[in-house]
Amino acid sequence: MNAREGSFPPEIENLVARLLIERARPLVVCCDRDWRIVDVHGDVEAFGCDGRGEQDCAVEFEELFLGLPLDEPVDLPFVQLKTGRVAHVSLVPGDAGYTIVFLDAQLEHDRQRVQQQLGNEAALAGQQKTRAIQQLREIRGELEQQRTRLQEANALKNALIATLSHDFRTPLTSIFGYLHLLEQHVDRDDDTQLSLRAIRRNATYLLTLSENLLEYGRSESGATLLNPEGIELQALVDDLDAMFRPLASDLGLAFLIELEDRGEQRPILDETRVRQVLVNLLSNAVRYTARGGVVARIAWRGDVLEAEVRDTGIGIPEEFRERIFVPFNRGVRNGSKGAGLGLSIVKRLVEQMRGELTFTSVAGQGTCFRVVLPTLRRENGDADRIADEGAWMHSHSALVVDDDPDVAQLLEMLLVDIGFRVRVVHDADTAITEALANPPDVLLVDVELPRLSGNTVVFRLRAQGYRGRIVTLSATPTAEARAAAIAAGTDHYLTKPLNIEQFVRIMRRAVGG
Amino acid sequence: MSGQARKICMLGDFGVGKTSLVSRFVSNTFSERYLTTVGVKVDSREVLRDGADPVKLVLWDIAGRSALDALNTSYLRGASGLLLVADGTREATLRAALDLLMQSRALLPKADAILLINKLDLVDRWEVAPATLAELRESLPVYETSARFGDGVERAFADLAGRVAA
Repeated sequence: MNAREGSFPPEIENLVARLLIERARPLVVCCDRDWRIVDVHGDVEAFGCDGRGEQDCAVEFEELFLGLPLDEPVDLPFVQLKTGRVAHVSLVPGDAGYTIVFLDAQLEHDRQRVQQQLGNEAALAGQQKTRAIQQLREIRGELEQQRTRLQEANALKNALIATLSHDFRTPLTSIFGYLHLLEQHVDRDDDTQLSLRAIRRNATYLLTLSENLLEYGRSESGATLLNPEGIELQALVDDLDAMFRPLASDLGLAFLIELEDRGEQRPILDETRVRQVLVNLLSNAVRYTARGGVVARIAWRGDVLEAEVRDTGIGIPEEFRERIFVPFNRGVRNGSKGAGLGLSIVKRLVEQMRGELTFTSVAGQGTCFRVVLPTLRRENGDADRIADEGAWMHSHSALVVDDDPDVAQLLEMLLVDIGFRVRVVHDADTAITEALANPPDVLLVDVELPRLSGNTVVFRLRAQGYRGRIVTLSATPTAEARAAAIAAGTDHYLTKPLNIEQFVRIMRRAVGG
Repeated sequence: MSGQARKICMLGDFGVGKTSLVSRFVSNTFSERYLTTVGVKVDSREVLRDGADPVKLVLWDIAGRSALDALNTSYLRGASGLLLVADGTREATLRAALDLLMQSRALLPKADAILLINKLDLVDRWEVAPATLAELRESLPVYETSARFGDGVERAFADLAGRVAA
């Protein structure tokens, strides 16, 4: 279809003109050069000018074109007039003044405003959302930092607890040994005997406390491997009797501990943990009983060990029963003097051995704890698995290189706890010689060694073809320090203070555990 | 009138409070509702000055834009002063205001300009740093304002009135 240029037929031009005029409702105002209105054509009502004085209109026109060069046409789209209406405003200069043309733009203005409003509000909401996300990121970052600090503090605490309780053992062993010797040579009626009993009572409490702390630190670090072995139940009962009878006697309490069934001579259990459970229960029973006595019965029935510790003590009030297994819950029981760890350790140990712990108690009359422990051999081959685990544990070796004897000892203790055979050396040269002569499964090396650094040890070992796994420890938690250690040839880089969970995980991974 | 009247263009990104500042200055009112401006709204108020003739500010409240290329520059013609507005809670609007200033300088090299950082009532949420404003003050008059409560508004307009009337 070809369009012809030129004017439209008159009837079409009239039609278009009529439609445009209907829509635009033009208002034409003629002013002189002082903005006095001299003539008006068109729809005065449409722009709300019908009720306004000429003076007001003149002021508005002057303001609209203030500062503009008035010798040329001016077009101003979407002008909101003082009447509130919106118009496209044009000025056409003439010889005697100006002609101002107003075309109604209200509908188009409103349509655009709706669109613009939606767009702007969406953009503002988007900016607020971005800001909120940024704030959340910052909060998360702060929480992560706090979490890291707490983890570090917790790891330090655990290391401290473990080290302290570990260090208690050696002197306590001496104390008990010498106590035994002295008790053999002192008359029972002698006042000295009473003093020795007081020493034994307090040393026993210290031993229990240190064992509990060690267990607490160990379980916090996640290192909880069972050690199944055949238990001599009668020997265990005899030991407990020797430990608690004197204590009960000093307090004027009756004390009885007996083995009810001797059918199985050596049930497979974790003796250390079983002993710790019973020591804690008996210790509590004696401590919280003022009158009457303590009776403990141990029985081996079929494939479970059943133990019951009953006392006539102060009992556990109803309102405290939910809290007695919470660690460090001192004050739950009247007259509590302990660290508040005993029952939480008992519960944890029983759970580790997949046993059951229950109790009944009447306030003011006494308490009875019952423990049921299954044999470790009968549970779906768990005993085999655990035995295998034990074999795995002792089949791996570690060489610790640290000049700080305390840190070296801590590392050794932690590694022994998770089943490594450990050698310790304190300087770089010895470490290189030792590692090459007798390669360990894992070499654990501190960076900050005197003279030659740990990184140098690693570099020189790798340079001589050493292919064993190496874990580097450092007090420098920077990316540069990590990169330097990796470049030297280490496999893992850990920073101090040591995160024990991470340490255990890395060490196990290093030997493919 | 032209002897005592000056055209002032309000420039700034959308939502920074240009219309609210004009309402506060001209009619001492404020609306919590955000209503975007399309095109331009012209308003005016006479400013009295100590020891000098009053000057009438004819305020062109122009639709918010972050760049002049999206703005109908015909609105700017004849302006004696520029009142740039930014939102203190949105740092990007400060950059937009400064961009608009740079662009409008090409069209209006002699126009006086001042910068208003609005929404002082939300100062706890400001992204614009005090040090940034201190630096800007070395090259441009800067006022912190609150259209909601009126803080700084009279002072800012009076300053511009003095500059454009001089």
